[in-house]
Parts: sequence; structure tokens; C-alpha cells
Amino acid sequence: MSGSTTTAAAGSASTRSSAGTADLVVFDGVTKTYGNGFTALAPVDLTIGAGEVLSVVGPSGCGKTTLLRMAAGLSSATTGTVHRATERTSYVFQDPTLLAWRSVQANTELVARIRGVPRAERRRAATEALDLVGLSHVAGSLPRELSGGMKMRVSLARALASDPELMLMDEPFAALDEFTRDRLSDELLRLWRERGFGVMFITHSIREAVKIGHRVVVMAKGPGRVATVVDSPSPPSADPAARRDEAALDALAREIAATLATA
Amino acid sequence: MSTTTQHQDPVTPSTPGSAGPAPGGTPQVTRRPRRDLRRKLLPPFVALVLVLGLWQGLVSGFGLPTYLLPGPGAVIGAVGEAVPALVEPALVTMQEAYLGFALAAAVGFLVALVMARWNVAERGLYPYMVLLQTIPIIAVAPLLVVWLGAGTATNTVVAAMIAVFPVAANTLTGLKSTDRNLVQLYSMAGAGKTFEMFSLRVPYALPFVFTGLRIAAGSSVIGAIVGEFVAGIGGGRGGLGYVITTDATQLLMPQLFCAVLAASLVSLVLFGLMTLAERLLLQRWHDSALPNDE
Repeated sequence: MSGSTTTAAAGSASTRSSAGTADLVVFDGVTKTYGNGFTALAPVDLTIGAGEVLSVVGPSGCGKTTLLRMAAGLSSATTGTVHRATERTSYVFQDPTLLAWRSVQANTELVARIRGVPRAERRRAATEALDLVGLSHVAGSLPRELSGGMKMRVSLARALASDPELMLMDEPFAALDEFTRDRLSDELLRLWRERGFGVMFITHSIREAVKIGHRVVVMAKGPGRVATVVDSPSPPSADPAARRDEAALDALAREIAATLATA
Repeated sequence: MSTTTQHQDPVTPSTPGSAGPAPGGTPQVTRRPRRDLRRKLLPPFVALVLVLGLWQGLVSGFGLPTYLLPGPGAVIGAVGEAVPALVEPALVTMQEAYLGFALAAAVGFLVALVMARWNVAERGLYPYMVLLQTIPIIAVAPLLVVWLGAGTATNTVVAAMIAVFPVAANTLTGLKSTDRNLVQLYSMAGAGKTFEMFSLRVPYALPFVFTGLRIAAGSSVIGAIVGEFVAGIGGGRGGLGYVITTDATQLLMPQLFCAVLAASLVSLVLFGLMTLAERLLLQRWHDSALPNDE
């Protein structure tokens, strides 16, 4: 699975989403070459199913973010096609990316306000989203009055407030300490259960990728490509009480680490 | 195998412009006011006393005549009689400088806005802005006297010309250094360029704008006085620049020192007003306007 440029061959079981019903994004033989001749992505075939959490892990420079930007429609493929089935897409950055001069409430409403959603409606959606991330009590505060983890949750609330079908997340918890990071990935899964959106989650933490993904896309670099796509042996369940098979997840994490070491 | 956290300090607020120039505003006093005040005021006071002592020692020690260098005592002695004569000129200079400053602030801000909005405008205008900045203003002043006549109009324009560049250049830097992710967020949500400008870029640039305004505060007074040097007493109302020229020709050194002090006072008031406005506008959200000990 290493070396060849078309490692993730179309038709192999795990490049298809298991959810199946409606695919949110379909990458079909997508490559990206920049003007200076640098190949950021060798051909990639990948789908993100409705309500599926897809985590993407790999070293810096493997084209993870390029893939995410294409899913957001921010970047176009050099060859191949990216089919995007929904416009209800929210993007979450590595940094909270908040307006420092606006309140938490106003920040949560921001995307809806830009889109021209009527005031009452966006206020209701933002209030609900803040409630969901447990930040109703700081709705009137300014970002600088919050901790790093709380700011990230405001960023999550802003993404939720536009009721997305697809969340595109670019290493959203990478700047946080490990403890906060763990709590936030739990929180993301809780929100996913509640709202049922699809997620494309970029990370360079194998543990995080294994914890939240239904499938884990392992990417390699030189050129950026999909090394392998693995189905989680114990994916997050819609039932919050469901037990996860920690031993199987640990084994998967070790397998991915080994793949990354050789890819 | 799990990644270790790479960023050690997630709580540090990453506020816009924190990499920008830090203004030298005086911090607000919050805790132990009396001790803080003493700690803040004592060093500059000691420095002042030392300099004045050295100055007086130099004058007395070498027996310098007052028409060459008056000692601080002679200057302070002259204040009483100089002040009434300086009120009118100071008001004239103040009017020219502040009006010029307001003009420069408005024009500089608008020019920066246009240049940030349209790249072609920046490419087209920037070279001429730099040119305007590099022309020695004192060389243009006589030209302005010919066009506008000797008087306050010329001096106001000179003040504005010298103050416009720092406002425009700093505002432009601020407007263009907006967080890239925020810009991306706006464009993904379908924001128009104008909305993005006023909702995102302008607030983001405010700390830079104020840096420009504080520099311009000093420049505009320099401009007004340079104008007065060249234009003289045209129109019958001489400003501080005119007083300084006449005092110098008559070797009225203590009076000249008082006029110089008055000029810096005019400049200081404007600087203080800008610092105050910045504090009021930005203190709630921006690091640069926070008290030092926070």
C-alpha cells in the first residue's frame, strides 16, 4: 500500500462510506499540483457519508488541509472532481478565530448574520448552540475573558448555529492542552449524537483520530496521498451508553502508527 | 504514540494586532494606587531634576550669558511674563495643527480604505504617497504661500501634508494584516467585500489606526510651526512658529524657550486626546490598551 500513487483504489471497500445513503462529499481521482510544479496530492478517491465521522491523520505536508479545503469549496482540484452534495457546511479552524471585539453571543451569530439570517432566528439558533456547548452563562462575555478551551467551544457553537450537515474541522483542538483536548473530542461526539452531522476531522493525533472516527484515513507524504483507509473496529455509537472496545482501538492505533512509520 | 501538546500556553489570547507596535500609553492604576503612582512618577521626576541641575550647573559654571543659553531658573522666571503673550499664538498654532490633523486623519483613513479595497488603487497611489512623504515639506511651503497666501490656510495644509502619511500607512498595514482565517470565514459565509471591510477589517485595524494617529499628532504640530516659519505673520495672527523666529532674532532666549515649551504642550494635548480615545475604544478587547499589570 505504500509507494504507488493510487493506493486508495476506487472500489476498495473502505473508500466508500459505510453510511451509504447520501454522500456529502465525493473525491473522485482528485489531484492537486501547484503552479510551481509541487504535487500536494496524488490521486485521491474518498467519500464522506451523511452522518459519518471521518478522521484524517497524517504528518505535516501530506495534503490533509488541501483535501479539507477542497471539501469546503475553497480550493479546486487540478485533475479529478470533487462533488459536494451540501452547502450546509461549517468550517472549524485550529484557532478559535473569533472577533475579539464582539461578545460570545455575537460571535456565535456571526456566520448566520453574514448569510442574512433574520435576527430573531439567528439569535435563537445561537442561543441553542451556546446551550449545547455549555456556554450560555458567558454569552455576554468577550473572547479574551475566556480560557482556550472555552474559546474553542464558542467556535464549535458558531459552527453548530448554522445547523450544518457537514463539519469540516482542521486540527480544531491541536492548540489545546491534552486534558482539554480529550474533553472536547468527547463533546464533539456528544454534539454529533445530538445533531447527526457528518464530520471530516483533520488531526495529527492518532489517538484522537481513532477515538472519534467511524473510518480513519491515513495519509502519507511525498507526494501527499491516502496510504490506507481503515474502518474502526469499535466506532462511536449513536447510543451514548454503548461501550467502546478499547483494546481493539489501541490495536488500531498501533497499526496506524506502524503504517505511518513505513509509508 | 499519542501526540504531545505542542502549544504550551493555550490560554494566551491571540488578539488581533498583538504583533503590532505597542503604544506607550500610561497604564491605568488599579491596585495599590498610591504606591503605583509613586513608582511611576518618581523615576521621570528624578531624571528631570538631574537634567535641570546639570543644565543650571553648566550655565553657572561656564558663566554663559542668557542670550546664548538661559539657565532653567531664567526660563522659569520668564514664564510669568511670557505666558500672557503666548496664549494668542498658541491658540493660532493649535487651530492650524488640529485642523490639519483632522484633515490628515480623514484623508489618510479614506486613502488607506480605498487602497486596501482595490489592489489597483494601492499600486497606483502608494508610490505617490511615498513621494509626498519624501518631499521635504519645508521646500513646498513657499509654493503653498504663493497659492494659498501667507497665513493659517497654508499652515493648516502643511500640517495636514506632513501628518497624512503615518495615518494612511499604519491604517493600510492594519487593514491588510487581518487574520486570514477570519477573512476565509467571511468569504465562505458569502460576505461582500464592503461588509467584510467594515465588519472585520476596520475594527481589526483600529490599534494600527491609533498608532498612526499618535504619530500624526506630533507631526501636525511640527507642520504648523514649519508653515509659520515660512509664512510668517500673514493675516496678522502669528502662531508659535512666528514667535520663535522673532524671539530668536531678538535673542530673547528665555521667551524662546517658553514658546518651545508651549509648542510641545500643544502637541502633547493632542497626543493625550488620541491616547484617551484609544483607551476608551479598545480597552475592553485589545491587549495593547490593557493596564500594564494585567
